[in-house]
Amino acid sequence: MKSVLEFREISKYFPGVKALDHICFQAYGGEVLAFLGENGAGKSTLLKVLNGDYRPDGGKYLLDGEEKNFNTPHEAIEEGISVIYQERQILLELSVAENIFLGKMPCNKFGVINTRKANEEATQIIKDFGLPIKPTTKVKDLSIAYQQMVEIMKAYSRENLKVICFDEPTASLSDAEIDCLFDIIQKLKSQGKIIIYVSHRMSEIQRIADKVAIFKDGCYIDTFKTGEISEQELIKKMVGRDLGDIYTKLDRNKEIGDVLLEAKDISSDYVKENSFILHKGEVLGFSGLVGAGRTELIRAIIGADKKRTGEVYLDGKKIENRSPKEAMENGIVLVPEDRKLQGILSNLSVKGNINISLMDKNANKFGIISKKKEEQEADEGIASFRIKTPSADKKIIELSGGNQQKCIVARGIATNPKVLILDEPTKGIDVGAKSEFYNMICEFAKQGLGVILISSELPEVIGLSDRIIVMKSLKISGEVSREEATEDKLLSLGMMGEA
Amino acid sequence: MSNGNENIKKKSAFRKVLDAIGGDKLILLGAIILVFAVFTSLNKNFLTLQNMINLLVAASLVGMVAVGHTYLIIAGQNDLSPGSLAAFSGVMAALLLSWGIPFLPAILITLLSGVVVGLFNAWMVNKIKLESFIATLVTQAVVRGFAFIICDGKPVAISNPTFIAMGKARLIGIPVSVWLMLLSFVIFGFILAKTKFGRSVYAIGGSTEAARLAGLNPKKVVTLCFILIGVLTSLGGIVFAARMNAGQPSANVNLEFDAITAVILGGVSFTGGVGSMGGTVLGVILIQAFNTGLIMVNVPTFWQYVARGGLLLFALTSDYIRKEKRDKELLAASMKNAA
Repeated sequence: MKSVLEFREISKYFPGVKALDHICFQAYGGEVLAFLGENGAGKSTLLKVLNGDYRPDGGKYLLDGEEKNFNTPHEAIEEGISVIYQERQILLELSVAENIFLGKMPCNKFGVINTRKANEEATQIIKDFGLPIKPTTKVKDLSIAYQQMVEIMKAYSRENLKVICFDEPTASLSDAEIDCLFDIIQKLKSQGKIIIYVSHRMSEIQRIADKVAIFKDGCYIDTFKTGEISEQELIKKMVGRDLGDIYTKLDRNKEIGDVLLEAKDISSDYVKENSFILHKGEVLGFSGLVGAGRTELIRAIIGADKKRTGEVYLDGKKIENRSPKEAMENGIVLVPEDRKLQGILSNLSVKGNINISLMDKNANKFGIISKKKEEQEADEGIASFRIKTPSADKKIIELSGGNQQKCIVARGIATNPKVLILDEPTKGIDVGAKSEFYNMICEFAKQGLGVILISSELPEVIGLSDRIIVMKSLKISGEVSREEATEDKLLSLGMMGEA
Repeated sequence: MSNGNENIKKKSAFRKVLDAIGGDKLILLGAIILVFAVFTSLNKNFLTLQNMINLLVAASLVGMVAVGHTYLIIAGQNDLSPGSLAAFSGVMAALLLSWGIPFLPAILITLLSGVVVGLFNAWMVNKIKLESFIATLVTQAVVRGFAFIICDGKPVAISNPTFIAMGKARLIGIPVSVWLMLLSFVIFGFILAKTKFGRSVYAIGGSTEAARLAGLNPKKVVTLCFILIGVLTSLGGIVFAARMNAGQPSANVNLEFDAITAVILGGVSFTGGVGSMGGTVLGVILIQAFNTGLIMVNVPTFWQYVARGGLLLFALTSDYIRKEKRDKELLAASMKNAA
């Protein structure tokens, strides 16, 4: 009998986000089902609900007609549901065999582990997978790809394995390693397992998946057979609109002014030496893979990380940013990447958040903050950025993600900056708010601000930037003008370092 | 919607007072009333004016330390060294006076030692990146050691008349120590609620990294908080010694225990970022009424320890319940906003 995994009306909420909205669909044994959707569409959240990391706020799911309710990932694994995550979840100091049999090492009746038997059984599994590794090797001595294989073997070693999910498994794999992974997935498929495959890479999905389930803004859209629908159509379904439209309608700045910011040979403990310039009224995009050093370069410039070498010039004058505070005083403001941990102050109100960088301005010489000035600033920010909140006194964390982000932008703009740096500003934000942000960014550039836009979403960087800098392995690997920018070009600069 | 607005307008004066105190604190007020009622029924001398003043005097040192802890814990830090520092300060002031150093310089030098201890704690937290809970355990041991070392383990008697007078003097019937506590509550309550420094304390307690990227200097704020608690503890320790007519190196053990219990009872969250000075005032009253009451109804000393442990557990549990409630309300609110 074929296994069936069925989701019924699964919902999940987080503060400020409706992460999953009544998800209903089925996955079948012996098939590879790909999850496709933008960042924040709910794919990873659904996997976490499936393996007991999150409890759903509504709905249920059934495996072979039986309702499942897991409190921990461990319980899910016991029942035959394994998720292989982007981050490796193995113990680096243990051997391959110990990792494969973690928590169920063969032992005698006194509880003493039989290492020899474990190694023998592990050897068998490794042979099944056709890998050139030894069961006794410590996992930390393996390559990333093999570490991931160990994780898959760990799931595979469960006799009752029914569902195996891969969350962006190929993000750090080479082509040969991807081939190897796909062989294993084919093998699992032939054994009748339910395989769920989450990836952004369209070519992989076409190659490995039998069906594609599309998610958008926390909703399940539909499932299609691969091959029966074109890539363009899939993208359209997943984005829910023609992307081109949003960008072509933007009212972009036509006049780019003099050099505003010059970064010369900037390096820190986290990024190699890099130089670039930014003009007045320009939107400068930063593209590249996650971990390419984009955020780190910016952090070194604004003094969030200690700069090792290099100089920063603003309007031709050399400036020193020893802390984000000094950068702010010099006119450079960052809207950070991780909204939850680096952006919002979750214990404060909308008003408190908008005003936190303005305390010097709002306080008298004794340091006493004027309530009236704070209210004015907050009202102004709420009005000009159209922040949807019942009142300025609401806790910021009660707002939706997009509105939280607007508060952070309002906070930065209130300090009257010359340079505005936006690090993944639209991550996890719904489509409507996204286009509001795009208009905002164009408006800032028109007002003469220099805007640096770090984004992993290629259409976003291409659609908004006047010039795009691509980084790879902590170095700038190339620069592309707006006219020459294509997704292919940026990707190959970001992944291979050449166009 | 319009109904809700009308309700807000029609709020009674009583309701306004309750709101000013804060809904969270109602449970605390209830607990205080309960403790007073129980102890008064067991010992009718409990609720007398004289006993209330005694209670406030006994609370004064804890109260001043609790003011410091309010800042520190809201900022996401903690301090386990006040008991040692208070004893050290009492001994130090007594010693300086016994060497013939005049009253004011003696006090100022002792307060300076409080600043130094605060700087040391801040240095461990900011520079060696230690958890304050463990870092200040170092200070607790070291400063207690120095309290014994500087006086060779023997209590130092105080003969300076000004100093003794400070322990005894009253203004409108209220002793100096109580005035100092009340002043600390008012001044530092105001600073916490209304000034840049106070706002920075809340901000870094919410998220240190976010606060730093928003242009604050978290290390500086943490350092100032440690200096604040150091100075308040030192001052409290000096006044305590004046009341006892001696600086005792073994005094004030478990002082931080009572102060932290009071602060958490008062609604400051152990996770940082949440709380107010008003809550701390109530927490201090509750814990001192509890401690004094236990003595007055003749609970054996050893059992008093158990009871205080129980009170701390109660405080932490209510902190947990409050946090759960906040999270739940938050989720409900965001579900509404998302829908």
